[in-house]
Amino acid sequence: MERLRVAVHSTDPLRRAALTRVVSEAGHLVVEIEDAPEVIVADGGKPPGESRMVVALGSADEEAPGLLPRDANASQIDAAIRAVAAGLVVRFPGVRKAGFGAMRETEAHALLTPRELEVLTALAEGMTNKAIARRLDISLHTVKFHIESLFRKLGARTRTEAVAKASERRRRETIVL
Amino acid sequence: MPDQTEPLSQLSGALVAHTEAAKNAVVAIRLPHERHITGLMWRSGVVVASEQSLPRKDEFELVGPNGSVLTAEVVGRDPSTNIAILKSGESISAPALASGEARPGAIALAIGADGAGGVSARLGIVNFAGPEWHSSRGGLVDRRIVLDMRLAHREEGGPVFDVAGGCLGMSTFGPRDQVIVIPTATIERVVPQLLKDGHIPRGWLGVALQAVAVPDALRETAGQSSGLMVMSVVENGPAAQAGIVAGDIVLSVDGTPAHRFRKMARLLGADSIGRKTDIRLIRGGAVITVQLTIAERQAA
Repeated sequence: MERLRVAVHSTDPLRRAALTRVVSEAGHLVVEIEDAPEVIVADGGKPPGESRMVVALGSADEEAPGLLPRDANASQIDAAIRAVAAGLVVRFPGVRKAGFGAMRETEAHALLTPRELEVLTALAEGMTNKAIARRLDISLHTVKFHIESLFRKLGARTRTEAVAKASERRRRETIVL
Repeated sequence: MPDQTEPLSQLSGALVAHTEAAKNAVVAIRLPHERHITGLMWRSGVVVASEQSLPRKDEFELVGPNGSVLTAEVVGRDPSTNIAILKSGESISAPALASGEARPGAIALAIGADGAGGVSARLGIVNFAGPEWHSSRGGLVDRRIVLDMRLAHREEGGPVFDVAGGCLGMSTFGPRDQVIVIPTATIERVVPQLLKDGHIPRGWLGVALQAVAVPDALRETAGQSSGLMVMSVVENGPAAQAGIVAGDIVLSVDGTPAHRFRKMARLLGADSIGRKTDIRLIRGGAVITVQLTIAERQAA
């Protein structure tokens, strides 16, 4: 399979980490956006003024050559990258728009702490508990404690589920002021 | 000949009459690939549309009530209330729209443009009518009106009437394809500002924020258990100029605790632009205060 130069664009570090992992596990070379990528995987919308080959996730931008729902799986993302690089247009059947909704507030008991957010970012990168303990300079026991607390607050049973739920929550509950 | 005294005939007749009367209240806004959405004829030459469904373009072709095609320019958009307005050089006349009051259970009639100068109609009831609410984009919408009704995408942006012919507002899609109404009062408030400035002036900090729990060790010093963590900072924006960085946890703005988004959104009305504010925040385990000058949000 051909190895493409792919840049990942997302304002959410969690999503960027998760998408970067998907792209590199599909055998592509992840490069910076300034570093002549052949395809850009853009979370949300494409970067302003971007006219290169873009696979946009969870966007309604009809001008992007690739449009996938936000929760597209790894093989769909890889297929879209390759199709767009080959000059094809990718659309997903019945992709729904988010709709005009209300501001959402997180319930107080489910709020994550800054430390838990750091652990989440590490989880999104696929790090082991040991590696997380090393990175954050905390004990293995404390890592486990944070992960359990994350599972409880997010209502998740697995690490993947925790990352997905946290990212979904961040998308809905981040405000730009 | 149907019996005109029969209640269902009367109802049907009334709906037909109302739909016909609404013919001049809609235009089709042409999109690529033979598609269109509906525009609401608000005032002579002024068309209101659903901002979320209007592509980011400066000019559109409209199909008027008699099938005539004319060009209109987008003169303003406000994503925070989902209102966009277009103006046409050639004046198209608009019917006088009376404002209607949404009451749960009341019959609602939504009108769309068919793209060829005609109309399409949808019947339902007002499912829910609640108080004012804040959109995820920070705008204030005067009432929460949810309809029990199906709507085609091409019909979004048309007027919704009550049985007395009063206009409840503009139809649009909420989350999960729920059909909601942007109230007439909101359109009345926003349109003059959009005509004047092209956007709704709002205060701007230049940050993306997410609610977080304050770490246990800092709760006492902070005096509160939650705050808003800075997820990203816009380059050269007001927050960046004040030295605010990603990871800071905002505790209060001018003494108002910053743990509810709604409160923050209220703090950033048009009158906040240019104001100096004290932002109390947690950085590196300590509570500090920085001063920030609120700027004006640039049009999206």
